Amino acid sequence: MAGLAASALVLAGCSSNSTTSTSSSSASADSSAAESAAPADAMGVQQGGTVVIGAEQEPDCMDWIASCAGSIWGSYMAQVTTVPVVFNVRKSGDDWVPEISGIMASEPVVSAGPPQTVTYKLNPDAVWSDGTPITSADLKYTALAIRDGEDILDKTGYTEIADIATPDPQTAIVTFAKEFAGWKVLFSGSSGVLPSHLLEGKDRPALMNDGYSWSGGPWIIDSWKKGESITLVPNSGYWGDKPKLDKVVFQFTADTAAAFQAFKSGQLDAIYPTPQLDAIDQIKAGIPGAKVQVEAVSGNLEALWMNNAKPLLKSTAVRQALSYSIDRAAIVERLYGPLDVKSPAQSFYPPILSAFGGQDFSTYGLDLAKVEQIMTADGWAKDADGLWAKAGTPATLTITTIAGNKRRELMEQVLQQQLKTAGFGLTIKNSSAPDLFGTILPDGDFDLGIWTLVTTFPDPSLSFAFDSGNIPSEANEFSGLNYSRTDVPGLNELLGTVDRTTDAALRLSATKEGDKLLADSATSLPIAAVPNVLLILDKIGGPTSINPSEGPFWNLQEWGLVG
Amino acid sequence: MLRFASRRLLYSLPVLLVGSFLLFWAVRTVFDPLLKLRQVRDPGLIARETERLGLDQGIFIQYWRWLSGFLTGDWGVSSRTSGSVRPMIGSALTVTLELLVWGLIFATLAAVLIGVWSAVRQYSVSDQVMTGASYLGLALPAFWFGLVLIQVLAVWPQQALGWDKPLFFFVGLSSPTEDPSLVDTARHMVLPVLTLTVGLVAVWSRFVRTSMLDALTSDYVRTARAKGVPQRQVIIRHALRNAWGPLITVVAIDSALLIGGLLVTEQIFSIPGMGRLFLDSLLSGDVFVLLPWMIITGVAVIVLNLAADIAYGLLDPRVRVA
Repeated sequence: MAGLAASALVLAGCSSNSTTSTSSSSASADSSAAESAAPADAMGVQQGGTVVIGAEQEPDCMDWIASCAGSIWGSYMAQVTTVPVVFNVRKSGDDWVPEISGIMASEPVVSAGPPQTVTYKLNPDAVWSDGTPITSADLKYTALAIRDGEDILDKTGYTEIADIATPDPQTAIVTFAKEFAGWKVLFSGSSGVLPSHLLEGKDRPALMNDGYSWSGGPWIIDSWKKGESITLVPNSGYWGDKPKLDKVVFQFTADTAAAFQAFKSGQLDAIYPTPQLDAIDQIKAGIPGAKVQVEAVSGNLEALWMNNAKPLLKSTAVRQALSYSIDRAAIVERLYGPLDVKSPAQSFYPPILSAFGGQDFSTYGLDLAKVEQIMTADGWAKDADGLWAKAGTPATLTITTIAGNKRRELMEQVLQQQLKTAGFGLTIKNSSAPDLFGTILPDGDFDLGIWTLVTTFPDPSLSFAFDSGNIPSEANEFSGLNYSRTDVPGLNELLGTVDRTTDAALRLSATKEGDKLLADSATSLPIAAVPNVLLILDKIGGPTSINPSEGPFWNLQEWGLVG
Repeated sequence: MLRFASRRLLYSLPVLLVGSFLLFWAVRTVFDPLLKLRQVRDPGLIARETERLGLDQGIFIQYWRWLSGFLTGDWGVSSRTSGSVRPMIGSALTVTLELLVWGLIFATLAAVLIGVWSAVRQYSVSDQVMTGASYLGLALPAFWFGLVLIQVLAVWPQQALGWDKPLFFFVGLSSPTEDPSLVDTARHMVLPVLTLTVGLVAVWSRFVRTSMLDALTSDYVRTARAKGVPQRQVIIRHALRNAWGPLITVVAIDSALLIGGLLVTEQIFSIPGMGRLFLDSLLSGDVFVLLPWMIITGVAVIVLNLAADIAYGLLDPRVRVA
């Protein structure tokens, strides 16, 4: 049950796995801070030329299905551009939805069963860079490599596969052991489709870790100079529209301030900075000769997570009182106001999945009278220090996040002040990302925490984060991701329905009911969707925009130099 | 001289052995080698890796296994990249040494020139200015100075003169869109080298000044002057040669420390050297890289100290005898 959605719990701003992109309602600005404008650039672009893009992180490896491939930047730069997928994420109306890619001949056919099956028909024109057709054998190889492999980044969905048949090179039939609603994550998102004719029976990590010479996308990896850059060139064997640029170089620029300077000086033609405070300040100050695209609707949801297993936070009344003590609107205004993002999140579904969530958390706004009422009714009284106390125990808590993440550290300070006013003590106790995710959260050694729920594929499963079966324990060797120890009666059933049913209406009502249960019990508190920002020099044209699932370089083949 | 060097080398071996064990013990105590794997949703992986890596065995057995591998060239596999550690460190060390060599050449030349100038013109206006500048250089934090240099020497001139690209680059060590050339490398090297050396020049020039003042007031210099030796020869042949000693010691020690201490400069200028490697490994808890990284820097400290002793001995026969 450990995670049935193509989602990951990561802390934006950490060394790897930091941001995932976003998009939807976009804002763009020229020079100064964000102003509304269409993201697409209608200007004509010429054939040829080189673009240098600043990359905040270097991937640890390029074996995309292995645990070392957790860096989202690796996916943006080299996976999305070279590895074919069954479903792309594309905008349809206001929503970003899965849409079959060019390797598919038709929409997969789902048979509810039991057993549930999905039949994939591949496009006979789709080929790898060496001319070998992309076939059902590639789907089978990929599925089994993930399902049965060791040291795999994310087995979500693949562990549900009972069998995969390949009656002909263009047809693959996947049979599931149980009904599985999130089947679209297969061969999409973090996995894609791998070439069996090059990898089967061989040492895949050895062949892919340091880059590979094949491609099933519009680009192919020309070089990966460790610590310096990744260079892509057009895949001459690509069956779709060929890239307009001759070369794209992703140059690793870890320091945000230097990256902005390099962008201003023309050493970098585009950057995609994490919206930390210094980056926002730079954007606010204005960047001449550049377009700034801000995507407020993202797959990243930053939340104040409460450890429901801690004595103080076991009480629903205390969690609700805390939620009424926090002025989330003020926090969001302070953190993202310059990017025109001002509304707090009111659901645990990020904007990319807004159709599945409600507005149930909107009940929680700053209301000190309500705090007083709830705490008093629960038997608490204020002590001499102005803190709530019960049976001689004051209501004091600790909060943790990744040390060095300026935005979150500022948020902690604001929370400290707001909670103090409401009668709660708060001590900040931050740590490194590996310690936080490797030890502190799995061990439950925290009261409150700030981290980001990142959705990398538009599937509404939240069981990985809220199903009580996923509370880290001996039973799951502490690999469960329900770090908040949420255990609300009735919630598991609703989350299970979301994971299992292929009935869209039933699924939708279950997500909304589940969101309401989370809000009513105040197990944790969503704060804000983290916006994404793309800065591009005016010399670059094409339909540049941020895809909330695939990142800002999802349509790099359409970028070009303005003629 | 050979005996002197051999003896010093022999002394270094037990220091290295004890130091490497203490480092191993400290790293194993502070870091969990399986930390990253604990985030992977694969129950059973931890137990398998614990057994595979021998982490359930005693610290001495673990150390011996690691040391045997290290000495035979098997430095293990990075938990962050799943790549072999030895080429990672080799590549980073090469980059750092390139930066370091240029930095040391520049810093030594600048420090000697400033130090000699200040000593020869003691208490003059230029001496006072250089003294003040030295204190300023000492006080400048590298991360701030680096960003100021970028602004002042790259961004502003580019904007003022309307150039397409800045005169000095500040991302990486080469331009990804140009063929490698000496000019391109130089344009990438200037700002990191200046950032790296500002503190060194400040300190080293003070050493040179003090040593030169001692030398210039010594009897042999007075004798040389009395014999009518020209001022330039007095300074270069007599005073400076004797003033080298303290500087060489400081340069050797600082060089060793710099191998690991280039973190800020490498981070600002996106240079994939030892500093960046350390930071990346530290942030991801990659003990498999951190351990050999520390051993290498430790070895560098010992070797460069040895080199300083030998150089000192070459310059001053009294040291060899002692």
